[in-house]
Amino acid sequence: MATFGSLALVLALALAAYNLFAGTIALRLLATGHPARISPERLADTARRAGIAGFYAVTAAAFALVWSVFTNDFSITYILEHSNRALPAAYKFAALWSGQEGSLLLWAWLLGTYGFVLRLMHKTDVKLYAYAGTILAGIQVFFLAVLNFAAPPFSLFRGAIPPDGNGLNPLLQYPEMVIHPPMLYLGYVGFSVPFAFALGALMMRYPGEKWIRITRSWTMVTWLFLTVGIFLGMHWAYAVLGWGGYWGWDPVENASFMPWLTGTAFLHSVMMQEKKGMMKSWNVWLIFSTFLLTMLGTLLTRAGLVSSVHAFAQSSIGSWFVTFMCIVAAVCIFTYVLQRSHLKTEHQLESLVSRESSFLFNNLVLLTACFVILWGTLFPILSEYVQGTKVTVGAPWYNKVAVPVGLFLLFLTGVGPLLPWRATSLRSIRRNFVIPVIALWAMVVVCLVAGVRPWTDGAFDAGNFYALVAFALAAGVLTAILSEFLRGAGVISRQTHRNILSATWLLTRRNTRRYGGYIVHIGVVVIVIGLAGAAFNRNQEQELALHDKLVIGPYSLEQVGATQDTNPNYDSDYALLDVYKNGKKLFQMAPEKRVYAASGQPQTMVAIHSLPTWDLYVVYEGTNPGTGQPIIKAFLNPLVSWIWAGLVIIVFGTLVALVPNLSSATAAPRVAARSTVPEPVLKGGD
Amino acid sequence: MTQSLGLILGALLALVLFVYTFWPENAFASQREKTRLDFLQERKEQLYENLRDLNFEFRAGKYPEEDFVAQRSQLENETAQLMAEIELLQQG
Repeated sequence: MATFGSLALVLALALAAYNLFAGTIALRLLATGHPARISPERLADTARRAGIAGFYAVTAAAFALVWSVFTNDFSITYILEHSNRALPAAYKFAALWSGQEGSLLLWAWLLGTYGFVLRLMHKTDVKLYAYAGTILAGIQVFFLAVLNFAAPPFSLFRGAIPPDGNGLNPLLQYPEMVIHPPMLYLGYVGFSVPFAFALGALMMRYPGEKWIRITRSWTMVTWLFLTVGIFLGMHWAYAVLGWGGYWGWDPVENASFMPWLTGTAFLHSVMMQEKKGMMKSWNVWLIFSTFLLTMLGTLLTRAGLVSSVHAFAQSSIGSWFVTFMCIVAAVCIFTYVLQRSHLKTEHQLESLVSRESSFLFNNLVLLTACFVILWGTLFPILSEYVQGTKVTVGAPWYNKVAVPVGLFLLFLTGVGPLLPWRATSLRSIRRNFVIPVIALWAMVVVCLVAGVRPWTDGAFDAGNFYALVAFALAAGVLTAILSEFLRGAGVISRQTHRNILSATWLLTRRNTRRYGGYIVHIGVVVIVIGLAGAAFNRNQEQELALHDKLVIGPYSLEQVGATQDTNPNYDSDYALLDVYKNGKKLFQMAPEKRVYAASGQPQTMVAIHSLPTWDLYVVYEGTNPGTGQPIIKAFLNPLVSWIWAGLVIIVFGTLVALVPNLSSATAAPRVAARSTVPEPVLKGGD
Repeated sequence: MTQSLGLILGALLALVLFVYTFWPENAFASQREKTRLDFLQERKEQLYENLRDLNFEFRAGKYPEEDFVAQRSQLENETAQLMAEIELLQQG
């Protein structure tokens, strides 16, 4: 299978190169109108079909690698290093992305898949799709060149082939690891598509903003994958790493978060371009930056530039990525400079208090957050380069900036939808903001009464203060969003005599993008509530002899014994803990410690009892070598389940936003054409 | 799988994909150049949508009457100019 896989990769590279070469010539011929021996349309079509054929070739290579994992072909070095015979089937799939070569192949395959779908849909707008397909081919050439020359996944093991492999990294042997990396990669790779469309539209001076409508679903689906990937990673870190948290500002976590921030900014500001013809240059640079940040993320994860618990595969492909990123940046800058006259705005910002300005502030806040995280992530590399010593920045540094920035963003989430387009009068502000502001202050009072106070023993407590602000803003924003639904549903209800629930359903169906977006915002609010709970985390570590008790919050954990289990893949030790509350036994928890047979590496499996109010999170840290007694660390983490619930709401909201509208809203426009045209009202389209 | 079988399968795959890519096809898709008129028609649809949104938000009670009238007038003015240019291009 190694020979077949290697041949398939060479073939895929040849096809991608042809797609890029023939596509570029065809588009050049079409743009200049120069006569040629072959019709440019025919040439462009062969380029398109080479792209489709390239997808089949990469699929064949990926299939060859998966086949080799399942047949335990340890003659392939990659399989030897990332799998073993006793590895369960699901984790054999995970072996595909657990190493550098495999994950690059997954990148290429996903890009091929996106390109395949795009090329099948080319009749939507033949020329625009030809540009986008050619740009995607350029990206694919890079990945396939790396796979063929720098990180070949089918290289053969030299010497006597061992009877069994080294096994999969134990950190990756967790159910979420079967879906988290593909989700993240779908998000990373997916941003290549809106990038290709944006760059293509700029290259061809695409008349109008229809390309945004064409790419809208691509961008939303990509954003959704990246969001789900990030949250699955958070849940994995929470359940596997055993430190009681879910986000540690690790460089690789940051690498996935940065394109998410710019991608989110793009999703918002692109609406301004579509509706008002504004922020065209800004949007182009947002999507360029997002694509470059996905490349940076892959570089950080794969090239070993930074130390991270997530950087599973490290090597020297960094120079390939840096070169490629420089080429992409140069192409983007060159195209922008050449075509910037095409990006003139059609309207100016009229007021600082308007829907437009809220989008602008939203973008500025997201970009500020992105820049801060980028600076913190690259600081160790820069400090080492400048001073010779690696200076790392920790979670407190990020939190100091990210928490206020995040809260301001939450504030804008509530304010934006309530502001009218163009400008806002004082009367309008009063009309729209009274109820959310009342809800906000009511929540402040409730929190103060419940003991969430920004001071403890007379001293300022930043954690409590931010939690109080978060809860208050959450109440205000939630009220603002619900009032948007109720007002809209009220209009439909009056028009159609439906009840309010049915009217809300119809309202959402009529403008899925807007109301799906609001549902996503509700998910964000729920997540912020969950994150704010971290201000009240507690933990307790104790060595427990038989029938000793550890007390945390309202719970008492009694050590009632230990047990062991074994299977071909790993051996497990469990500590058995009975959990009591108010003297009554509720349930038993069994935190686990594993040792994997193939690698000999230990791994912690946390026991979590999750409730809407808090998570009881118990780690078996091992035994005291002196006494042989288990050491248990317990955490009481309030509101963590709200974070995962918020993700479910975000997924639902995005899916709603992806559904086409049922029909346009009512109210027909009443516009008559003017008799004279002093000058063209709109720029562009020429 | 032996090396020779891998080679044969690889060659077969190359042949199939080569034929697929370069098979003479006469029914390939093409499109006419997008004109300014097409662009203006798209913008007209967008302006109509903006007007519908404005009307709906007014009915939902988000705008005081005077704000609504001012905004509607601006949008209608913009749409009217655009439609005039469309008519001019259609006549020409």
